[in-house]
Amino acid sequence: MIGLGYRREMSDWEMSGVQADFFEVAPENWVRRDRGPLHELIAAGHPVYLHGVSLNLGGSSPLNLDFVRAVRELMADLNTSVYSDHLAASGDAHQLYDLFPIPFTQAEVVRVSDRIRQVQDVLGQRLSIENTTWYTNIGELSEVDFLAEVAERADCGIVLDLNNVVVNHKNHGGNDLRGFVQGIDLQRVSYLHVAGHEWDERFGLYIDTHSEPVERVTAEMARHLHQTQGLAVLLEWDNDVPTMDILNQELACLRLSSTM
Amino acid sequence: MSSAFFDHVRGRSDEVPAGYTAQGLRVYRHLVYLGVSQMIEAHFPAVREQLGEAGWRTLIEAYIRQSTWTSPYYGDLTDDFLAYLARESA
Repeated sequence: MIGLGYRREMSDWEMSGVQADFFEVAPENWVRRDRGPLHELIAAGHPVYLHGVSLNLGGSSPLNLDFVRAVRELMADLNTSVYSDHLAASGDAHQLYDLFPIPFTQAEVVRVSDRIRQVQDVLGQRLSIENTTWYTNIGELSEVDFLAEVAERADCGIVLDLNNVVVNHKNHGGNDLRGFVQGIDLQRVSYLHVAGHEWDERFGLYIDTHSEPVERVTAEMARHLHQTQGLAVLLEWDNDVPTMDILNQELACLRLSSTM
Repeated sequence: MSSAFFDHVRGRSDEVPAGYTAQGLRVYRHLVYLGVSQMIEAHFPAVREQLGEAGWRTLIEAYIRQSTWTSPYYGDLTDDFLAYLARESA
């Protein structure tokens, strides 16, 4: 299955023209909003997955379990069992609405996986965690070992973001895409994320902007895992959303048979 | 990710906590500013126009140093911003 992140910009699109099998939305945007557009997608045969940003799994403030219960209700309403958030913090004691790196340490493996278990207890099912882009971080573990150990200890799923692996490798070295994929248990992966990124001269770093086409190496790995592991692939394009034609071209490119 | 990390990101301090890079922290400070600036502007476009670029940046930066927003819903940021303005002008 090939999917697309559903954006508000698409609310006046004729969605039957979008060549996606499934869609993904942020639950934060829909808990308190009219879910009509999502029910239309579902009625047309396209499942809707939830991918959140505010759980603050890596933060130090108590988890907002009322919010988790609201998401559980949304999942029931949308008839979906797929919910993920990021292996990151959303702020300090307060929300800062971005994703901040959790130190790659053994102590954080224990602390964060306990928080994930707490969320899963309220959901009554598995949560998936996404590997994120980070611009500076500390800790004695490699990122992939940190991710693998948290997932194992929490017994949770993984949304494997291939673009984030590529961005982090360009910025910091360490595992390349192949090495990273080899470092995790693919049985835990619920599906894949792909997106584009940009070089930012101001910072001297690649930034995960979700505003560009998917790079060749990322698309190739996505097609390979799609074919060999049956993993679904979701395209994220959140900023400077292009026309439907260009999105359809990107989606078609993810469908092409692999040459790997 | 100590409080020193977030003090830097919020612009309360320019100190770089041990092990982090100044370059990476600059990205986080920038991203937080961008997110807040865009959300506040979307709700109060006239304010930005009235203040001009420099005044707007000063206001948003001051707010980010002290924001106390805890809601998981992005839109609620505006409530916290209004509460901040009320505190400041009290």
